[in-house]
Amino acid sequence: MSELKVKKPSKIDQLKAMSPKDRNRAIGDLLMNNAMFIIIAIAIVGIAIAEPSFVSVPSIVNIISLTAAKLPIALGVGGCIILAGTDISAGRQVGLAACIAAGLQLTTNKLFPGLGVMPWYVALLAVCAVGAVIGFVNGFCMAKFKLHPFIVTLSTQLIVYGCILLFLKLGTNSGQTLSGMSQTYQDLIKGTLFRVGNTAVPNYVLYSAIITAIVWVIWNKTTFGKNMYAVGSNEEAANVSGVNVVKTIILVFMMAGVLYAITGFMDASRISSVNATTGLNYEADAIAACVIGGISFVGGIGKVSGAIIGVLLLQIIFTGLTYLSVDQNLLFIVKGVIILVACAIDMRKYLVRK
Amino acid sequence: MDERTPEKQPENDFKGIYKNVKISVKTLDIVIVGGILLMIALVLFGIANNGYTVSFDSRGGTDVAAQTDLMYGDHVAEPEPPTREGYTFAGWYHDENCQYPFDFDNTIVDASATLYADWEKIQD
Repeated sequence: MSELKVKKPSKIDQLKAMSPKDRNRAIGDLLMNNAMFIIIAIAIVGIAIAEPSFVSVPSIVNIISLTAAKLPIALGVGGCIILAGTDISAGRQVGLAACIAAGLQLTTNKLFPGLGVMPWYVALLAVCAVGAVIGFVNGFCMAKFKLHPFIVTLSTQLIVYGCILLFLKLGTNSGQTLSGMSQTYQDLIKGTLFRVGNTAVPNYVLYSAIITAIVWVIWNKTTFGKNMYAVGSNEEAANVSGVNVVKTIILVFMMAGVLYAITGFMDASRISSVNATTGLNYEADAIAACVIGGISFVGGIGKVSGAIIGVLLLQIIFTGLTYLSVDQNLLFIVKGVIILVACAIDMRKYLVRK
Repeated sequence: MDERTPEKQPENDFKGIYKNVKISVKTLDIVIVGGILLMIALVLFGIANNGYTVSFDSRGGTDVAAQTDLMYGDHVAEPEPPTREGYTFAGWYHDENCQYPFDFDNTIVDASATLYADWEKIQD
């Protein structure tokens, strides 16, 4: 407590000690750099006043569950952004993982006639393996050939989409939506973890929390994590100081691939029906969440907590706008503007720091 | 490189994805404030025009009027069933393949949507 008390006035003292011009600039910087948080906070208060059910327990549990569902993909993309790259194949990779997971868990399997329900861990391992392979291809092309991540992941995005469409055409399925997955799998993901009042918190919130904890340890406590930040902030310097840059980049993308696969594995059960549009545009949400949370496109900057805050804020704002019955089509435009503004704030922070 | 004076273009040394971006803090401020104003305008516009539209695709049958201005949490009122020569009406569905029937009593509106009619051919 006492530490906090000492800290707070010191910042104000700093401002007081400045000349009026500097003070104005410092306050301006503070407002501008946190513009997104300020506007989201105002929006949340506004929505809560207009629609009081927005702050009810079921609504809050719903927001937390959806945040948990989207957190692994954001952490995957976050790793790629820390490398001063990005990954626009993320959404389709989630879609492919969801299709494969669903395909191995169908009770009446039209994709592989005669194949019964596989154990859930077989499905999980299968999707993680596929994710890791796609991640390897992304990382390898980026690290070895120095290709721009946009080009590499744009092509994998399309390739993965093609694979999804072909996968859904297997057997007698002819591209239809996959639904009717085994009860074990449904319970594993959607089963009740605990209840808040009458509202059930699903199991995948726990899984997402565990994954986030693991990612935090990898980013902060391992040599690999430190190498990732080093390569992101300055690749040449990292190389000179003995970091295996190629290996680091490949591993980051493979880790991202596995995280997308886990997202897909959870999503297939969470939304109960999987088709070719599953995972569409997920990467846009994930990238927006990361940038809002302070994971910078400059590279080498970003924290796990930033990704969590970013995903949570985006989820709150979009759930809130749904409560206000704002047209879904309009929300895409809002999302686009959010990404633009978040990037502008990101660049501004970098320029001001210099 | 040597023509550049550090005072004139100090912001040219971006890294990563922003490499080669030339933009000043002032321009960024305009983008940020402008973007936020645009967002507010869009949301206000969305709220002013709020409400979802559920339209009915009768697929060959008589036209069914769309229901507008539905709010989040509302129920869709079941319309008069359309008619079509040689067919009997077999209900409204979420999808064109008529796999997922629409439950008028238990479904709440949370987005604009289109419902599809299912028809059964009358056997002679």
